Amino acid sequence: MTEFATRALLPAGLRDILPPQAAHEADVVTRLMASFAAQGYERVKPPLIEFEESLLEGSGAAMSKHTFRVMDPVTQRMMGVRADMTPQVARIATTRLANARRPLRLSYAGQVLRVKGSQLRPERQFGQAGIELIGADSAAADAEVVILAAKALVDLGVGEVCVDLTLPSLVPEICSGLDEIDGLKDALDHKDVAAVAAVGGAIGPILCGLVEAAGPAVPALARLSAVPLSGNAAALRERLTAVVELVSSAAPELTLTIDPVEGRGFEYHTGPAFTIFARQSAAELGRGGRYQADGESAAGATLFMDTVLDVLPGPVAVRRIFLPFGTPFAEGQALRAEGWVTVAGLEKVADDRAESRRLACGHLLVAGGVIAA
Amino acid sequence: MSDLQKLVLALPKGRILDEAMPLVRAAGIEPEADFDNPKSRALRFSTNHPHIDIIRVRAFDVATFVAFGAAQIGIAGNDVLMEFDYPEIYAPLDLKIGLCRLAVAEPVDLAGSDDPSRWSHIRIATKYPAITARHFARRGVQAECIKLNGAMELAPSLGLCRRIVDLVSTGSTLKANGLVEIEHIADISSRLIVNRAALKTQPDELSAWIDRFREAADAA
Repeated sequence: MTEFATRALLPAGLRDILPPQAAHEADVVTRLMASFAAQGYERVKPPLIEFEESLLEGSGAAMSKHTFRVMDPVTQRMMGVRADMTPQVARIATTRLANARRPLRLSYAGQVLRVKGSQLRPERQFGQAGIELIGADSAAADAEVVILAAKALVDLGVGEVCVDLTLPSLVPEICSGLDEIDGLKDALDHKDVAAVAAVGGAIGPILCGLVEAAGPAVPALARLSAVPLSGNAAALRERLTAVVELVSSAAPELTLTIDPVEGRGFEYHTGPAFTIFARQSAAELGRGGRYQADGESAAGATLFMDTVLDVLPGPVAVRRIFLPFGTPFAEGQALRAEGWVTVAGLEKVADDRAESRRLACGHLLVAGGVIAA
Repeated sequence: MSDLQKLVLALPKGRILDEAMPLVRAAGIEPEADFDNPKSRALRFSTNHPHIDIIRVRAFDVATFVAFGAAQIGIAGNDVLMEFDYPEIYAPLDLKIGLCRLAVAEPVDLAGSDDPSRWSHIRIATKYPAITARHFARRGVQAECIKLNGAMELAPSLGLCRRIVDLVSTGSTLKANGLVEIEHIADISSRLIVNRAALKTQPDELSAWIDRFREAADAA
């Protein structure tokens, strides 16, 4: 390998982000955080690394196999690099902010690191931005989180945002008290109705009804209401119905689907959960839902910045103007105040116009006047 | 309509294609004439539906195209689906074609004296290293897999390793190579698969196609 290659090569799943994408990403994050802040979500900033036990506690356990560990030489305890920020924010809410008034609305943005990328998502480091609503357990709280996350994407300019609402705790609720059924999870995960019917036994018809109740929200809810459910399962269904009504009336531009049996990646959710897609992308833009934060009911949403940026139009080109060597500082200041990006010449050159083109400036300043380069 | 907005159906080359085409046609998708021309070098074919194209790729690649959303719908054996275990793929329909089984085989003379319950480490030639490693790990056996893309049956006789994991339909290939099936891993059939994001973002259209394939499979 050449010396350049040796220095340039990064470990798998990590990359440098260059101009103008780096500034674009920061700008998009800022706009998202402003959307969250406008509805009372206050920003917190947890550390990159913390003790493994607290990072992987409760709903954080799902991230165990994705987490980089290092030994803290000071305390001799294991520390984990965050692979997801939600458990950190939940920890802050239930410890340091335990006495803050409820419902508590927090937002966050930061980078996470994962041990291994998947084939579909090879990035090991990517940005997350999200919200957590802690200490409110109602359909209104579920809907607020869904609407805020999805609308923030619409406001950024993501076209055709789709939200898939799920009830990951519904199937475990129906199966509770029964012996574990071989092959059931696999059949449900694949949406294979015939296989669900074959292995489901006595609860097969109910589970098949749930699989068939996936699809566009309105007709799917009608099918779901025909499935005979009782007790907690019926309560979950009522909750989902209420959330669908709230979301569709507040944000009719969203494509809403429901999927009562989707459970992959939602192992720790206790109520309605959701995944956000966009028509142009095969990857999820975000996901979230209801979980338990150390005894308190909470709902949250996380957006994945890498996939969000993929579906957004690229950065808008900035207006750059070249200031020839010796331009008074105040003149540059005045142009910057008008919204120009100024690039100052650091030495006298023969042809200022050629120099401005070389430095990717569309304009230059000549004798106090702006002219095209 | 741009190519990216089209619905793409991915079909596997080879054995399964002959069994799958009657179902595809019964579901109402008729590819252009070039599709049946064995000399054609084309990989992508238009159909009687202006917004649906068919691509013909290797069986393993069907799953990859669909998982990445490059194709929205496809037909793949559950051997391929189990090997990759992509969470982005739904397999809503068993088409009951391409029937066979995935099995462990070893030479006949070894099978007489072998006691699989005493294994701690075995070496296996297979096209399915992930399924094989998972299958043996479940029994506490470490499987060192040698990935081959075909002709697994040669491996034992040439001393590459003593055991193989491969698809078996009639068992005649095993027999011809002096091998015997010693363990059943899974029953295999071909499934209709769809991309998860596509099903969520174009639910009406994809559900309608799943239903039409279901009717076609039930009628077959």
